[in-house]
Amino acid sequence: MSNFKSMFDLNQIDSQGGKVVTTNQQSGQAVINALEVRNLNFYYGSFQGLKDINLDIEQGKVTAFIGPSGCGKSTLLRTLNRMYDLYPGQRAEGEINFYGQNILEPGQDLNLLRSRIGMVFQKPTPFPMSIYENIAFGVRLYERLSRAEMDERVEWALNKAALWNEAKDKLNQSGLSLSGGQQQRLCIARGVAVKPSVMLLDEPTSALDPISTGKIEELINELKHEYTIAIVTHNMQQAARVSDYTAYMYLGSLVEYGKTDEIFIKPKRKETEDYITGRFG
Amino acid sequence: MNTITNVDQSIFSKRKRANTIGLTLSMGAMLLGMVFLFWILSVLLYKGFSAIDLNLFIHSTPAPGSEGGGLANAIVGSLLLVGTCTFFSTPIGVLAGLYLSEYGDRSRVAAITRFVTDIMLSAPSIVIGLFVYAFIVAQAKHFSGWAGTVALALIAIPVVVRTTENMLRLVPGSLREAAYALGTPKWKVAFKVTLRAAQSGVMTGILLALARVSGETAPLLFTALNNQFFSTNMNAPMANLPVVIFQFAMSPYDNWVELAWGGALLITFAVLGLNILARVVFREKVQG
Amino acid sequence: MPDNHLSSQFDADLNSLSSRLLEMGGLVEAQISTAMRAFTQMDLDTCNIVIENEKQVNDLEIQIDLACTELIARRQPAARDLRLVMAVSKAITNLERAGDEAERVAKRTKRLIDTGIPHNINVAEIRLSGQMAINLLRRSLDAFARLDTVAASEVVAEDRQIDEEFRGFVRKLITYMSEDPHIISTGLDMLTIAKAIERIGDHAKNIAEFVIYIAKGSDVRHIPHEDLVREANKD
Repeated sequence: MSNFKSMFDLNQIDSQGGKVVTTNQQSGQAVINALEVRNLNFYYGSFQGLKDINLDIEQGKVTAFIGPSGCGKSTLLRTLNRMYDLYPGQRAEGEINFYGQNILEPGQDLNLLRSRIGMVFQKPTPFPMSIYENIAFGVRLYERLSRAEMDERVEWALNKAALWNEAKDKLNQSGLSLSGGQQQRLCIARGVAVKPSVMLLDEPTSALDPISTGKIEELINELKHEYTIAIVTHNMQQAARVSDYTAYMYLGSLVEYGKTDEIFIKPKRKETEDYITGRFG
Repeated sequence: MNTITNVDQSIFSKRKRANTIGLTLSMGAMLLGMVFLFWILSVLLYKGFSAIDLNLFIHSTPAPGSEGGGLANAIVGSLLLVGTCTFFSTPIGVLAGLYLSEYGDRSRVAAITRFVTDIMLSAPSIVIGLFVYAFIVAQAKHFSGWAGTVALALIAIPVVVRTTENMLRLVPGSLREAAYALGTPKWKVAFKVTLRAAQSGVMTGILLALARVSGETAPLLFTALNNQFFSTNMNAPMANLPVVIFQFAMSPYDNWVELAWGGALLITFAVLGLNILARVVFREKVQG
Repeated sequence: MPDNHLSSQFDADLNSLSSRLLEMGGLVEAQISTAMRAFTQMDLDTCNIVIENEKQVNDLEIQIDLACTELIARRQPAARDLRLVMAVSKAITNLERAGDEAERVAKRTKRLIDTGIPHNINVAEIRLSGQMAINLLRRSLDAFARLDTVAASEVVAEDRQIDEEFRGFVRKLITYMSEDPHIISTGLDMLTIAKAIERIGDHAKNIAEFVIYIAKGSDVRHIPHEDLVREANKD
């Protein structure tokens, strides 16, 4: 329990947004998992959307979820920050351990949890406020910062999202005045500003042009040093480009999970190979 | 090749004919509506324009038989009544609409509230006036501006509730989810994100409710009644434009009739102005 | 289980790549046969045929490499498809070099004919290992066509025999040359020819190793033979 609370303790995060390392990862022996999913089953009413999922999401790495439509990858992502709780009739059974604490247990502070596990969606959704306010909004929920500190945080977040140069002269303009790709980067900046431990990205570049997509992939590459990232994508090459680990899902089950290089050069399961080579008939 | 073109032509010309007929009928209907609108406006302008001068705004309603006079007390009274009505009905209506949209998707209370709101929307205004008469005026044993405010509010609130709820529902769920994903508590999502996103739509609803109650006569007949003299005492009968028009229009005094037309002109153009304002506000939202 | 891509053009491209490799293999096989015949019969015209046809082999290498590059650019192949393309790209290099060795045999044979020094060197080993090399190449290409890893591992094993033959011939040659210094230059030409054949065997072995890579995903180059056999026989 104390572990959980300390992960939620914002004072433990240093000013650069990095996680306070509590164990020695240099030797590469003990792998730290940000999230451990155990025997997860998910139901939309009576329909079972996820079947007995078991997987680990390693800290400081990018894990991609791929699979055909309806395979459950977005469903799985949305259990990780308990977004499904907003909708009655959807329920999850099993365990999801966030740094040791099971977040599926009843009695969780869901709002606090969601500030530690952030999410960026497919459609860019800037709030109807200025760019500055968009970012300050999330920060103000859980931190009390002076005006100067907030300015600094906004600049930091926009820098992290590679948006500072384009936005610094129009911080007071509405977030909606940005282009699609910029809006999505604003959403990423917004998510990063609250310094979560984990960022969940649900098809973040599906609605964007190739250049914006490229910029965001580059962003993911830089963010992964400080955050744990889980990304759902229907673009296999994107998964190959950005992720360290890939999970292939089909019809609600986890078919194969492993290092991305292995999955794309020598997958263990024929179903996986069929999918990634386009033999899906 | 020739036969195909022939067949094409007959289908095409049939369609063209149907198109022309449809367009003509629609244009005709529109023109009919426009004709009456402009007729009304021009009659108002014609008959009421002569009453528009500085006196209208300075002097109060004249006593029977006396000369001149204006509508100052009625104008101020209407402003007070409509103003206080808006002051009370806006928060109640917006909060109720917020509740229905954000919290009450499945609850019994929400379903009942919506049902009641719908009924109130179409309730005859005279019935509402009578209701307020029975419960407030009769109990207090005198007419008052506050009773008028209550009656107008009972008409305005359902409008605000309905439009607020509808405008809030138009806000895409993805925006709410984005706010939740940051760890925003539900009430903050509702107030600071959803409501803010729908703000111009909600404002439009308020303006439209305003426009509606500005011209309501029947409820005021039983509640605020009228006041011949200039007064800002809400605890007493309050002068107001609709009732003054009602009283003056059928009277035998020329200056009264003229003032009635002037008042009608004022109300009409005020309501017209509010409607246009509502449209402008809404359009700004859609573009920005 | 579906074996065809959603894109039939992709299927066609991959198949075309494989068949062109086999075509090039057949050409190289023919070159080696012809070169060996030229050597056995000491026939000048046959030597020239080999030397002329070498250009065809080089052209094929360039064309097939281009096809590989285009496939990668267009399709971003993954897993087995990727391994196939990578392997084809490497295998054609082996084939091209095998073709070079055949040309070398022909050129040296030509020199032997031109200098015409009588000798009594027994060239049975060269003829024998020549046959073995051709056979090995044919079998490695065959294994590629069928992606038969068991056959491929056998090819790898038998390349050793060619190496043995070569070493045996070198020992004999040393004896010959030390007994009769006049035939040293002839002996060196023979040595070059024998070495060329030994290298052809190695190229066949490489191609067989690629077959295992494509089918099983394991890079079996430079690993002990037992491990290679195990990978080849894995499910």
